[in-house]
Amino acid sequence: MLQRFLDPATLASISGLDLIAKTVVDGFVAGLHRSPDFGFSQEFAEYRAYTEGDDLRHVDWNVYARTDKLFLRRYRGETNSQLLVLLDTSASMGYGSHEVHKLDYARFVAASLCYMANLQRDAAGLIIFDEEVTNYVAPSTRQGQIFRLLHAIEKAQASTRTDYIKPFIHFQNYLHRRGIVVVLSDFYEDPETLVKTIEPLRYRGNDVILFHVLDPQELKPKFREPVLLFDLENETNSLEVSPEYAKHEYRQKIDAHIEALSSKARGAGLDYFLMDTGRPLDEGLREYLSVRRGIL
Amino acid sequence: MGFLTPWFLAGAAAVGLPVWLHLLRKHKTTPLPFGSLMFFERRTQSSIKHRRLRYLLLFALRASLLLFLVLAFAHPYVEQKVLPRLRSNEVTVLAVDNSLSMRSGNRMAEAKQMAKSEVASLHPGERAQVLSFGSRVAVLSEVTDDHLSLNAAIDSIQGSDDRTSFAELSRSLRSIAGSLRLPLHVQLYSDMQKSGMPANFNDLRLNSDVRLEPHPIEQKDVPNFTVENVVAPRRVYDAKKTRVLVTVAGYNTQKAEKNVSLVLNGRTVETKPAQIPESGRASVEFNSLEVPYGRNKGEVRVDSGDSLPADDVFYFSVERGDPRHALFVSESGNTTALLYFKTALEASGQDAFTIDSATADQVANVNPTKYAFVVLSDVGALPASFENELRNYVRGGGSVLVSLGHTSAGRSKVPVTDERIVETRYAGREGARFESAAWLDPSHPAIQKNNRWDDVKFYQAIKVDPGKGRVIAKLSDETPLLIDDQEGDGHVLVFASTFDNIANDFPQKPVFVPFVEQTARYLGKLDQGPPAVQVGSFGELRDSKEVGAAVDVLDPKGDRVLSLAEATKAENIQYTLAGFYDIRRPNGRNELVAVNSDRHESDLTPAAPDTLNLWQNTASGNQASGPVSQSAQKPLSLWWYVMLAVLALAVAESLLGNQHLSVDQEAP
Repeated sequence: MLQRFLDPATLASISGLDLIAKTVVDGFVAGLHRSPDFGFSQEFAEYRAYTEGDDLRHVDWNVYARTDKLFLRRYRGETNSQLLVLLDTSASMGYGSHEVHKLDYARFVAASLCYMANLQRDAAGLIIFDEEVTNYVAPSTRQGQIFRLLHAIEKAQASTRTDYIKPFIHFQNYLHRRGIVVVLSDFYEDPETLVKTIEPLRYRGNDVILFHVLDPQELKPKFREPVLLFDLENETNSLEVSPEYAKHEYRQKIDAHIEALSSKARGAGLDYFLMDTGRPLDEGLREYLSVRRGIL
Repeated sequence: MGFLTPWFLAGAAAVGLPVWLHLLRKHKTTPLPFGSLMFFERRTQSSIKHRRLRYLLLFALRASLLLFLVLAFAHPYVEQKVLPRLRSNEVTVLAVDNSLSMRSGNRMAEAKQMAKSEVASLHPGERAQVLSFGSRVAVLSEVTDDHLSLNAAIDSIQGSDDRTSFAELSRSLRSIAGSLRLPLHVQLYSDMQKSGMPANFNDLRLNSDVRLEPHPIEQKDVPNFTVENVVAPRRVYDAKKTRVLVTVAGYNTQKAEKNVSLVLNGRTVETKPAQIPESGRASVEFNSLEVPYGRNKGEVRVDSGDSLPADDVFYFSVERGDPRHALFVSESGNTTALLYFKTALEASGQDAFTIDSATADQVANVNPTKYAFVVLSDVGALPASFENELRNYVRGGGSVLVSLGHTSAGRSKVPVTDERIVETRYAGREGARFESAAWLDPSHPAIQKNNRWDDVKFYQAIKVDPGKGRVIAKLSDETPLLIDDQEGDGHVLVFASTFDNIANDFPQKPVFVPFVEQTARYLGKLDQGPPAVQVGSFGELRDSKEVGAAVDVLDPKGDRVLSLAEATKAENIQYTLAGFYDIRRPNGRNELVAVNSDRHESDLTPAAPDTLNLWQNTASGNQASGPVSQSAQKPLSLWWYVMLAVLALAVAESLLGNQHLSVDQEAP
């Protein structure tokens, strides 16, 4: 029943991005409780002896009262990591054959990931890029970070074309801690070039997840009659496409592209996940959590 | 082409629907955005072109479907006269004229050569048929594409003595076209004689599916002399020299002198020159013909020296025999009637009969069968044996003429016929001074040529109840004057008055002589006939009594015309050759029939080209008029063909449309 709330079309009807993220994550978490394999709460993990320099706020004063020894309480939630979401806002991300465009979908995913990270006290950051880095919210666990993130995500608009090389060189300057890097993009680039560009992020000990966001019409285009298509990133580039071509040869090519990207990404130790904007968001979140668990 | 319900054509506006669907709506297509075109290629254009082509084909199919549907509602039709231009399976008919005129010069050879050329130009599989025609049409080959048989049929055509009849050709072509149910292309090879054209041009009309192409053999007027007619007696009964009157004619000729010869049984009797004016006629009279006993072959020849020698001779037959006897029976002492009758018969020049007279009391032992006919002139009582003989004689085919007067009025019945005598009518008693012949049946041979009976005065007449007899003449008081009774195979002619100039003044009137002559000829069954007949006419071979008896007929070449089976059954024969036909009957009535070609053939003037054009146009219908041509223009409905086209288009549209749907169904 709650799955219904994760449907992209349903989410699109919700106005506030924070509400969307909350709806997604709450719905997703509620679903997780049914699974014995996944435990998620701010439950107690262990005691650790106090060492000089530790924050006194974490001292368990009750234990000290009973034992006169200083122990620090450690919770699972405090085994935090850093999440950095790289959101592609190129013009091609503005494409959508139904209510939810690819960029909307990516924003939902990004917001949900940030929200979830915030819940887990993880430091979440955001980089919005197209051919340049257009916005950067540094990872932090500070109060109000989630609102800064959501605000940045909210403002993200599809703009110009994508250039992966230029912004990704920049990213390396922003990454100081190891953590999880999530790239949300439609990856219209040669898989070889893409992987070579993104691969250096992995060398810093980051776990990199590539969320390949594609519209159903991009995966399996269906036209009744020949159509004139123009490229969103280069509007002067237009082509007349027959239904037969779209049905056969295009599908073969996009499948080959996905396959190549997937295999090369995995080969480079990157996690790859194809996100169909016509499908619920929980699949993306589930992927994120499985990666995060691996870190823990 | 026309439409029975043309207002349905307004539905053609519905073609706008596929136009909008396929052309206008298509142009409204706006470019669609797409994420990236990196997986599309330029070469997809060719596919689109194919698809556009298919769309255009589909558009054409749909538009055609609508148009044909509209056409079907409008009920299109074509006039059948248009069909000959659309026809297929056309049969070429090679019609070659073989009439007498085609024997002039080398016309026949030219016509056959042209016909063979036409055969050679026929395409493989193209079928043809060969006809020859004169006054009749002979089909010489089947409808075939075998050139050998067609050429053989053309080779078999020989010139005949027939006359040209284009009307008969047209009738046959109409019949052939009707039976074959195929369009005909008639190649006509003829000298196109003007005299071959019928009097009524409507007889030349052709069916709408007959296309006529005349090939005139000779276009110019060719001079020709001919013996046009010969007047000679058919039979002679004495040794007197016979008069023969000959008419010689020239067609398209200059004034010329020609020798005309009279030939009897192959021997030239006499030759005389004849001055023939320009394109005119001349008469030559021969008075020196002595006819020997028996049947004689007479000929008149002119030494014309023209290109058509076949018409330079005219055949006639003349037969010499002894006169036949007739018995005139009257009451003793009454010889006036005999005198008048005999004198009238002699005055008529009719020497075929000699009259034997006898009184009523002398005939008891007379056998009437040896007489050509018997006249009973106002007789009273006859010997019973003679009367019985007479009845038998009449039943066996004999003839009796009975005149009734005051003597016979004593009897209650007419002799031989036993018709009841009602009363004796006297004109004076009723106040009228006389009666006259008020009504005559001119169809009867006895009075066929007599039309001047009005001034004959009848004072006394015996009124007879005619019974089954045929009344030929009546007096003004309705009293039957002349009655023809048929008894068995013979005839009894009853004259209700006398021949003695007492009961009437008939014997003193000019009409009496032809009456006696024709009556004698009718009663004596003397068939004088013409001395010659025309080619194509028919001759009688036997009467009803001669069934089963063989009749032998030899044609001018000496060949037997009839097979053995025909010889016992045929009742008549058509004369097809010029010359003498020898007809030998079982009862000894042998006959020599002279047959001449129709002299219309001698006029070799060709028909005017305009006439030929008009004839051709009777088939195409341009000049045709009247009910026949109207029926040829009967509209032929095309509804079924249009509906079949609609069905075919609907199927094609469905199949092509399905192909498009198979792609479209996957699209959202």
